[in-house]
Amino acid sequence: MNILGAIVTFIVAFAVGMTYGGLTRKITARIQNRKGPPWYQNFIDAYKLYSKSTAIHHGALHFLGPAFLMVSSVMTLLFVPVLTHNNWFENLTFDGDLIFLIYIMTFGPLGMALGAGQTGNPNSAIGVTRGLSQMVGFEIPWVMALVSLMIQYDTTSVTGLMAAQEQSGSWLMFSSPFAFVAAVMAMLGMFRYSPFDIVGAPTELASGPVSENGGKFLFVMMSSGSVFTFAKLTLYVDLFLGGADNLVELLIKTFLLYMIPVLYGTVSPRYRTEQSIRWFWGWPSFFGLLAILQAVIF
Amino acid sequence: MINDKNSQKIVDIIQNWARKHSIWVLAYGTGCGAIEIPPTMTSRYDAERLGVRGAATPRQADVLLITGYLTVKTLKRVIRVYEQMQDPKYVIGFGSCTINGGMYYDSYNTIKVLDKYLPVDVYINGCMPRPEAVLSGFAQLQKRIAEGRATGARHYKENLEWYRANQKKIIPNWIMPEYNW
Amino acid sequence: MSMMKELKENIIKRIKASFPDAVEKNDFNYNRLDFIIDKNKVPSMLLYLKEEMGFIHLSHASCVDWLEEGEFELVFIVWSPVDKIKVFVHTRVDRDNPVMENMDMIWPQLNTYEREFRELYGVQFTGLVAPDEFILEDWQGPPPYRRDFDTAAYAEKTFWHRPGREDAQDVRETIASRDGEEIPDFAKKYSR
Repeated sequence: MNILGAIVTFIVAFAVGMTYGGLTRKITARIQNRKGPPWYQNFIDAYKLYSKSTAIHHGALHFLGPAFLMVSSVMTLLFVPVLTHNNWFENLTFDGDLIFLIYIMTFGPLGMALGAGQTGNPNSAIGVTRGLSQMVGFEIPWVMALVSLMIQYDTTSVTGLMAAQEQSGSWLMFSSPFAFVAAVMAMLGMFRYSPFDIVGAPTELASGPVSENGGKFLFVMMSSGSVFTFAKLTLYVDLFLGGADNLVELLIKTFLLYMIPVLYGTVSPRYRTEQSIRWFWGWPSFFGLLAILQAVIF
Repeated sequence: MINDKNSQKIVDIIQNWARKHSIWVLAYGTGCGAIEIPPTMTSRYDAERLGVRGAATPRQADVLLITGYLTVKTLKRVIRVYEQMQDPKYVIGFGSCTINGGMYYDSYNTIKVLDKYLPVDVYINGCMPRPEAVLSGFAQLQKRIAEGRATGARHYKENLEWYRANQKKIIPNWIMPEYNW
Repeated sequence: MSMMKELKENIIKRIKASFPDAVEKNDFNYNRLDFIIDKNKVPSMLLYLKEEMGFIHLSHASCVDWLEEGEFELVFIVWSPVDKIKVFVHTRVDRDNPVMENMDMIWPQLNTYEREFRELYGVQFTGLVAPDEFILEDWQGPPPYRRDFDTAAYAEKTFWHRPGREDAQDVRETIASRDGEEIPDFAKKYSR
């Protein structure tokens, strides 16, 4: 593994994630018939948060929340192959890393629960509970889609699935359509946009788990959110859309995929936690079951 | 951050540029002037193109907007909120009630001059100021940040005894700690 | 119109049958009727109006400070949604020692009204169960809604005022002359 390659991957993920955040705000603003902030607004926000001169913390465990989030995002990023057949971005990979990814992606919010519990703010505690409950919701169709993929192609590593796409010549989006539909529906919950943004919205419980974090803590949380976004989008592109050979193609594919939750989010109201879990265990799980049936029978 | 007399180092210039283009306003309406905040933030007089955004808690906010009159009861809570915010922080006084008491100049329960209890950076006059006036107030705050003169928080820390003496004279039942982290 | 007059006559007759010393005044709007009664009979009269005569809605309760006569006047407004008539019940309480009976078992919202009178006028209600403070926090002065409480003098004494208010300059003209701007024609008629 190349240390320089890992650092470059991290910088690319950070920059692309932040840009997508700023572009989201611009697109949402244009839909609402106003001019929005410039596309580099998230960078300015991050730098302002970084340059706060006092930091108020509530003990040692309070530092663990943002640290665990960042660790989880970076680990997820390093296991996702960013470009196919490229020496720069050849990070970690082993057989069975798809199952490993399913576990690692839940590690971050658990760490944040520790940090939020240390602050003693009841808003954070309730927000963390809601976040973890919602995660129980969307994990079901997501895991079902991945399991059906693993059964269909007899491999548990991401690079194996990408190789299968190259061999058959068609993207997994077309040869396992039910898995793709179930995974996209689960993606709506992963990115925490409307209608599933009850966890971190500013009007709900004073923004839930983030409520006692300001200044540099918030900077780490925002950056880890952007890196995690990029990692998830790249994982989807690798699994379903055939990977990408160069950076421009990757950017186009991830952006088009990212527009699905963003555009759906601008026109939806918010679900309560039990409504969102009930939705996730309805149609998306049905499509996941169909995907598993298709993988086993055909 | 003014370093030597009238010049600023390059780091300060970049920092002030970032701070002035991303101002997070605490979503707390202390008086009747808070009714002019939603029109400023929504589609017609868009404040988000200046980078102004709502923040949910004092830990995440930069600016405390004192919109209108402050009763003695609210002043106790506002002091607590102000001291929980993190540096650098600014206070904007909205409306004429913060300047000289405004329409409630002879009321038995509102404070007349905000400057003696909290350090104020920018006043916006009007009763209530229209969204255009609010946006021009934010532009004035941006100019002060860029010049490095928005040092209300430092002034508060250095003259804490004076501010505390004024606050304790008005608030008879001071049951809060000496400084609210 | 005449139906309303008949209804009002009916109400006056029934009230005077039960409470002979109620004085009525009937020279207001076509759907308003006033009664003046002694303060000890007010709870039973309100109960009679609510239960027997169909005035089930309490619209408002208010207190008037008659400083020259040395009395507080309490007014209760009840409304009948069937007959669409409102009845005002007036009573007088002594100003130096204002004591009244608690009535919030008839309508629960009278609890809030009585707390307001107790804090802001100083009227004591026997049997009222409510926290001591209502709106003002740590208030040590006299009840502020009384007419002999000079709010301007109290505000002058307690708070620091910013100098410069006394000359009462016109804000628009001052700012226009300071910044060298012209006041437009349509705005000139609002200047002093």
